[in-house]
Amino acid sequence: MILPILTALFPLPSEGGQQDPFEYLFAHVLPHKIEGLIIFGLPVWNIQYFQLAAIGFMVVGFSGVARAIRKGNPGPVARVLAGWVAWIRDEVVYPNMQKEHAQKLLPLFITLFFFILFMNLFGLIPFGATATASVYVTAALSCITFGIMLIGGIIVQGPIAFWKNLIPHGVPWWLIPLIFFMEFAGLFIKPFALTIRLMANMMGGHLVILSFMGLAFYFGSQNTILGLAVAPISIGLSMFMMILESFVALLQAYIFTLLSVIFVSMCLHPDH
Amino acid sequence: MLSTLAQEAVQNAPEISEAIQVAEAGAKTGIAAIGAGLAAVGAGIGIGRIGGDANIAMARQPEMMSDIRASSMIFAALIEGVAFFGAVIALLFAL
Repeated sequence: MILPILTALFPLPSEGGQQDPFEYLFAHVLPHKIEGLIIFGLPVWNIQYFQLAAIGFMVVGFSGVARAIRKGNPGPVARVLAGWVAWIRDEVVYPNMQKEHAQKLLPLFITLFFFILFMNLFGLIPFGATATASVYVTAALSCITFGIMLIGGIIVQGPIAFWKNLIPHGVPWWLIPLIFFMEFAGLFIKPFALTIRLMANMMGGHLVILSFMGLAFYFGSQNTILGLAVAPISIGLSMFMMILESFVALLQAYIFTLLSVIFVSMCLHPDH
Repeated sequence: MLSTLAQEAVQNAPEISEAIQVAEAGAKTGIAAIGAGLAAVGAGIGIGRIGGDANIAMARQPEMMSDIRASSMIFAALIEGVAFFGAVIALLFAL
C-alpha cells in the first residue's frame, strides 16, 4: 500500500530501461547545469539558486540585529547571531591581525564565514545542493582572498617593498633566488590549497552519502525484498555521515576564514 | 608462415588496439584507486598521531581540555586537506 504511494511521490527515472541508480543520484545531486536554461547568454547551474538563497539568508537574518542591540532589547535570535559575529571578531580576526587592518577587513571575513557556512549547510536539507562542492565556487572565494592578499599588501607596503619583504631577514645572498621563487610559488599555492580543501571536503562527504544511498537502490533493482532489507542500514549510515558532514561544514567554513585571515595578515604585515 | 602471421596481425589489429585501450583505462582507474587509498593512509597516520598526543596532553593537564580539543580539530582539518589533495589528483587522473 505504502510502496505505490512512495514510488509515485519519489520516482526513480527509467528512461529507456533501468538506469544505474548511482549514476542517477550522482547526476542529480552534485553540481550540474540545468539544460535549456540560459540567462544573459550563460548556462544556469542548479547550485546558483542556493548561492542566492545563502545571500538571502544572510541579509534577512542579520538585517535587524544591529538595530535591536542598539535599542537595547535584542531577542534570542539577535543575541545568537551577535554572539557568532563577536566570536569571529574576538577569536579569529583580532588575535591574528593588527588592529587597524583588522577593523577595516572584519566585515569581509564575517561575510566569507557565513556565506561559506550557509552554502555548506544547504547541501544537507532535502532537495538542496552544496554550492561549495563545485570547484568554480571555491576558486572564486579563494580568488577574493588572493586579491585582498595582493592588493592589500601592495597598498599597505608599497609595490617594491611587498616583493622584497617576501624574503626573510638574514638569508645568505646565494639563496635569495631560490627563496624568492619558493615564496612566490607559495603566494599562489596557499589560496589554491584553500580552494581544494573546501571543495574536496564537501564533495567527498556527498560522494560517500550518495554511495550509501545508492546501495539500497542498487540492491532493490536486483530484488525488491533485498532492497527493503538493506534500506534501514543504508539510511542509518547516510544519517551518520550527514551528522558528520554538518560538523565538517562548520569546521571547513571556520578553517577557510581562519587561514584567509592568517594569509592576509602575513601579506599586510610580514613579521620577519 | 610469417606472411600468414602478418596477415592475421593486420586483420586483428583494430581489436587488439581496442583491447589495449580498454586495459589501459582499467589500469588508469586501478592505479588512481591505489593512489587515493595511499592518501587515506597518510591522513590516518597524521590524524592518529594528533589524537594520541592530544589525549596524552589532556590526561596530563585536564584544565586545558577545551583548548587542546579546539586546536586538535584545526590541525586535523588541515591534515585532511592535504590528504584530499591526493584524492582529488587521483580522481582527476581516473577521469
